[in-house]
Amino acid sequence: MKKNFNGFDFLQNNLVPLMFVIICAVCIPLSGLSPSYLLNEIVTRMGRNIFLILSLLIPIMAGMGLNFGMTLGAMAGQVALIFVTDWQIWGIPGVVLAMILSVPLSALLGLVCGRLMNMAKGREMIVGYMMNYTGTGFYQLLVLYLMGLIIPIKHASIRLPRGFGIRTTVNLANMRQCLDNEFAIFYKGVKIPVLNFIIIALMCLIIVWFRRTKLGQDMRAVGQDMEVAQAAGINVDRTRIIAIIISTVFAGFGQIIYLQNIGNFPTYTAHSQIGMFCIAALLVGGASVEKASIGNVFLGVILFHTMFIVAPRAGVAITGDAMIGEYFRVFVSYGVITLALIMYEIKKRRARSQGGELLARAQREGGVQT
Amino acid sequence: MHEYASAIALRYWLKKMGYPRLIIAGFLLFLFIMAPITGSDLSTQITNVINRFSWNAVLVLAMVPMIHSGCGLNFGIPLGVLAGLLGGTLAIEMGFTGSMSFLMAIVVSTPFAILFGGGYGALLNRIKGGEMMVATYVGLSSVSFMCIMWLLIPYKNPSIVMAYTGVGLRNMFALDSFYAGVLSKFLKIDLNPLGINLVIPTGSILFFALLAFLMWAFLHTKTGTAMTAVGSNPTFARASGINVDRIRVLSVILSTWLGAVGVLVYQQGFGFVQLYTAPQNMTMPAVAAVLLGGASVNKASISNVIIGTLLFQGLVTMTPTVITALIHTDVSEVIRIIVSNGMVVYALTRKTEGAK
Amino acid sequence: MRGKMLLIRLAALAVCVAVAATMMVIGRGHTLYFDNKTIEDYQGQEYRAFERVVVTVKGEQVAKLGKRERGMATWIGQSFKMTLEITENKGDDPRIEEISIQLPYGVDGIVINLPAYLAGLPEDAWFSEFVPMVEEEPGEEDLPGEGDEFGLEDDMGLESDLGI
Repeated sequence: MKKNFNGFDFLQNNLVPLMFVIICAVCIPLSGLSPSYLLNEIVTRMGRNIFLILSLLIPIMAGMGLNFGMTLGAMAGQVALIFVTDWQIWGIPGVVLAMILSVPLSALLGLVCGRLMNMAKGREMIVGYMMNYTGTGFYQLLVLYLMGLIIPIKHASIRLPRGFGIRTTVNLANMRQCLDNEFAIFYKGVKIPVLNFIIIALMCLIIVWFRRTKLGQDMRAVGQDMEVAQAAGINVDRTRIIAIIISTVFAGFGQIIYLQNIGNFPTYTAHSQIGMFCIAALLVGGASVEKASIGNVFLGVILFHTMFIVAPRAGVAITGDAMIGEYFRVFVSYGVITLALIMYEIKKRRARSQGGELLARAQREGGVQT
Repeated sequence: MHEYASAIALRYWLKKMGYPRLIIAGFLLFLFIMAPITGSDLSTQITNVINRFSWNAVLVLAMVPMIHSGCGLNFGIPLGVLAGLLGGTLAIEMGFTGSMSFLMAIVVSTPFAILFGGGYGALLNRIKGGEMMVATYVGLSSVSFMCIMWLLIPYKNPSIVMAYTGVGLRNMFALDSFYAGVLSKFLKIDLNPLGINLVIPTGSILFFALLAFLMWAFLHTKTGTAMTAVGSNPTFARASGINVDRIRVLSVILSTWLGAVGVLVYQQGFGFVQLYTAPQNMTMPAVAAVLLGGASVNKASISNVIIGTLLFQGLVTMTPTVITALIHTDVSEVIRIIVSNGMVVYALTRKTEGAK
Repeated sequence: MRGKMLLIRLAALAVCVAVAATMMVIGRGHTLYFDNKTIEDYQGQEYRAFERVVVTVKGEQVAKLGKRERGMATWIGQSFKMTLEITENKGDDPRIEEISIQLPYGVDGIVINLPAYLAGLPEDAWFSEFVPMVEEEPGEEDLPGEGDEFGLEDDMGLESDLGI
């Protein structure tokens, strides 16, 4: 009896990953892609995306939900990359320098975002979501107008012909896949970017270690119950801000790793989708708004990106129209996030009303006793 | 002592107005003063602002019912827009033209709006407290779902389906032989013969005024006051025998329907229908406008809508011409992004009294 | 305790700055161009182009130059090393020379005239800066926010060139 109940629970908790397994199982044969191509694509995408998604874990731990504001970190990473490109720092040193340069900006943005989220407790996600649009405005102001006017940009090749502002594409040819190619192993047509995976493994270790530190414990306490944490002497606001700063900084690193793999980026739009895709991938891996593990990240990347690769071709096979597959994968990404948000809110509400009932019962029973 | 008191009064007033609103109103005033200096014709500018106002005001009005019932800012307005688009395209598909097509568009979109709004409202009732984030994603996913549907629904009318294949709707099509300008041409005041470039789309404004009046009247009916009560204090409302969930669903349906009508009004002014991903671009301007007008996450009035739409559309139409003339660079997009989204962040981070 | 914390933070900051500075030095990329071209008149003397030069950088053959030809290579850092396989006149046995040049930090593109360099002439004879032409693209680039669109830019993520 109890086992049966668990089975149902398992189904309920893993609905989204199971759904994706089914979608992938249907779409892979329809797409007609060769297994080695598919595997190669997935491994490459794992190498470039996992770091970004890992940056989402810490705010979830601190009970701040999905950090839609991670896009701010991505913007900081892009600003750093523009500078590094202009200064002609190439290869791995360029990547490292970009990462260091991105830290002050992403930490500042994280600080602002964290403070705003503290002003809107319970509405962190929508604030983060709106922050990345507001941030986009400031990013455009910086990159499209101030760079070249106030901030010196040396090379005319990355400037717009009008003399200021950055061209719509920034070319990273000189650091293209420099991380991916270092120690890369080729196995039956599949390129394994070993260095990327080493970095990801390190990041995972850091997260595991961080959970055990005093700060990590505080964050978990804050995530469970802010009032209790406050009563226990934890500076709740500060802890939450730190969580967001860490997330934003790591998102900046993640974006740099991601873009060095791609090899160029559309200056004004590269960041806009990143948050959505990372969050969708994490949720596909079975995470929820309040609980996410490293395992969810890996599973999510594999499932989500398999869907992403095969959906357009499967769409052509089914309907004869490539656009339908394109729209379908976007719909699925949004749909997954919607579903996760709804389940989270329903669960939260149920917990709240249960808490209320318990309280009421306790009062009632207390009333009988006295 | 007297000075001190007036200083306090001033600060109170400032606080009530809110700094962002003041800054933007001041900026707009500055733009109006600068317009003649930079050589752009003031009456042309005013015409543009009024025109834009008449296109957008109904969409902004659609924010009001949901804010009133405590459902927060309606980030799910794309759902209403989709209902409007379905109504518009189906009316054209059925072969209606001219003013009749506009009327039929509203008629056809109404059942969709009720259906979508009802489902959406029922969903929002199950997730009280987290409406806005879910609403955002309900909007986004329904827009992307409809992207697939625009391709799959078997429309036949050659003036709206894709030119070559004949399957699926076009990204954008003109409304010239349908409902373009049906409202704005009605009782239009055109001062061009007098040498002043001032055109007032009286019909559109009257239509908005009618809807705004109906909304105002509705908010003063028994159901309307109940809605306000639900928004300001749900516990009290429940205690006084109001069916909170039902009122909330009603407000969502109203909001969705107004969104549907709003987009049709927008299209008749703009003269084109935009499909696929376009509906989600309707959200932020409407949300930002109502906030700019002085609404908060749980409080909004008709005057907020009017002031907000004027301010926001004024900003959007004036900055490109005036600022470009001043500094020879078009920074209007940046200003618009920062203002509209910054305004929402500002509103979200205010302390809201009474809610929850 | 507080002081110690501050010290650690300052040290961490210093390490970051140091790493960044190091990266700026060792990561500076240069593009090198090799000319196998006769110098007609340098202080009254002529330095003739070689029959054939094979340039090898980091074990990779980057150019095989006949007379009046130009080769290209990229290099990260300032101490540039290459191996040249020089055939001076037709029918000669090629000789191999290992060459290392200290590159100036601030120059992106460097042109090296090989005959002049190998003859041991001073820098101004073999060194020149390569100034690329900036291609002025015809037509406007599609910048955000030009034109009168309603609302925000499209954020549906349908741009498949995002590469996600």
